[in-house]
Amino acid sequence: MSIIRANQLDAWEKCVDTGVHFMLGNYALVEGAISAGCNFFAGYPITPANEISERMSQRLPQVGGKFVQGEDELCSVFALAGASLAGAKVMTATASAGFNYMQEGLGYCYTIEAPIVIADVMRTRGDNFATYADVYQLRYGCSGDYEAIVVCPASVQELYDYTIWAFNLAEKYRNPVIVMSEATIALMRERLEIPTAEKIELFNRKYTTAAPADYLPFGAPENGCPDFAPLGKGYKTIYSLNPHNEKGGIDWDPDEFERLYKRVCGKIRENEDDICRTESFMMDDAEYAIVTYGSETRPSIEAAQMARESGIKVGVLKLCNIWPVPEKAIREVAGNVTKIFAVEMNMGRYVNEITRVAGGKCPVVSVTKNRGQIHTSAEIFRAIREETK
Amino acid sequence: MLQYPQKISLCGFGGQGIILTAVMLGTAAVTKGGLYAVQTQSYGSEARGGQCQAELIIDKSPINSPVAEKKNLLVAMFQTAYEKYITTLSPDGVLVIDPQLVTDLSVPVEHTFAIPATQIAVDLGNRMAANMVVLGFLSECLGILQENDLIDVVKTQVNPRFVELNIKAVQAGIAYAKEHDLYYHG
Repeated sequence: MSIIRANQLDAWEKCVDTGVHFMLGNYALVEGAISAGCNFFAGYPITPANEISERMSQRLPQVGGKFVQGEDELCSVFALAGASLAGAKVMTATASAGFNYMQEGLGYCYTIEAPIVIADVMRTRGDNFATYADVYQLRYGCSGDYEAIVVCPASVQELYDYTIWAFNLAEKYRNPVIVMSEATIALMRERLEIPTAEKIELFNRKYTTAAPADYLPFGAPENGCPDFAPLGKGYKTIYSLNPHNEKGGIDWDPDEFERLYKRVCGKIRENEDDICRTESFMMDDAEYAIVTYGSETRPSIEAAQMARESGIKVGVLKLCNIWPVPEKAIREVAGNVTKIFAVEMNMGRYVNEITRVAGGKCPVVSVTKNRGQIHTSAEIFRAIREETK
Repeated sequence: MLQYPQKISLCGFGGQGIILTAVMLGTAAVTKGGLYAVQTQSYGSEARGGQCQAELIIDKSPINSPVAEKKNLLVAMFQTAYEKYITTLSPDGVLVIDPQLVTDLSVPVEHTFAIPATQIAVDLGNRMAANMVVLGFLSECLGILQENDLIDVVKTQVNPRFVELNIKAVQAGIAYAKEHDLYYHG
């Protein structure tokens, strides 16, 4: 199997499906990946992520990429590791129960610093699938010391845009990046505008210029990531889950592995300003703030508008990524409002992070729902009205 | 002038092409009409025969909440689906039914349009085209799309073997709205 790097695809521009579409969320995510130069996908079927594999199996052959259906999730994520180390831009897609099975391979990718992108179309079981119950699993699912990057699209357009962002972050920080989707937006059709290829900004990992004899596969500045050398080009590297030194040799010396884990965590922790993004709606004069993420942003904005119509000044802080925690933005909001509403499609999870970061500056009220459907704006408005009497 | 947002629900049984109708109306609204649209659906696990519902919100500006508690327009293509979803129609909304398939209107709606879509499709030679009759009818009734734009969308989304039949069905739906002066301005 030959792996082609995105920047080697002659016809890459032609692969970008420029124009206005009325597209399914899962398909938009695939188009984002294709626009980002994804050229390898391995996955195992699961509802409600199946349309991602389906479209990938059609699109990747068109762009010179490879599609593999693994025999299970674990196989798929390890296939990503291999293809990524050979220089491909790689992705898989799964849903909650399938994500469980990927933890070992995902943990491996964190430790060996393999850029991979995972779409988790989170789900519950029953008639309706929508949930954000697994927000902590996305951060803490694997064993070992690592930092997760999780981006949270709220629309079909953002499923496209944020998937490109995810690939760029994965390449820039040589770290797995998770696109957190859920059944509502994944199975929804909506307006999607795909720009022309020259307007899409891509970041590709930095390749080494060192000769194989001088190459240090895990040599990097403090809080930085190493230059990359693809497998199969004479750079003999052991990519081990075990603690390893700069040369890639398995090394049990505590000094060595402390240095490794400090850097693997530090490259994310110390670059939060570059990674984290938030958006504010109606926050300028807000007395109360909804802090939320993903598709829950949509009814939250409507609820804030409803609240304002009845004289309650509510704004919305949307977290475009939940890991690493956008602490600065949350802290600033906590200092400017009298109460925060943490709106979530689960029994109250990420509210713990918001409460921690708010640090007692203002109370945080958890607004929860776990019925397989996203909040309606009326439900959120009622919760706000109750708490602002 | 049509008011926005339009919150539309189409319901029937699996296999009637309910979801495809909503997808094509949304596609035409977005790609030809310069509008915003959000389409969601719910259906049973059966391939055919289960209840099926598609929601479509059309607006002039980006749409926040993708689900609407009350609809302006409800299209019911089967009796049991009518019974299940009639409560989601707002009191001043419009009900569209196929009178052959929805025969017992237990909840009277002041503005009810009856279009014999299935009979029209049978007359055209294939009852499976009833959904395209509904598509043409809705497009004309709402007045947001040009006929040729709608036909362009049919050509891109339908199996080439059935394009001719589907175009005829769409045109028959448009003609029915015109002949009976069934226009919706809500």
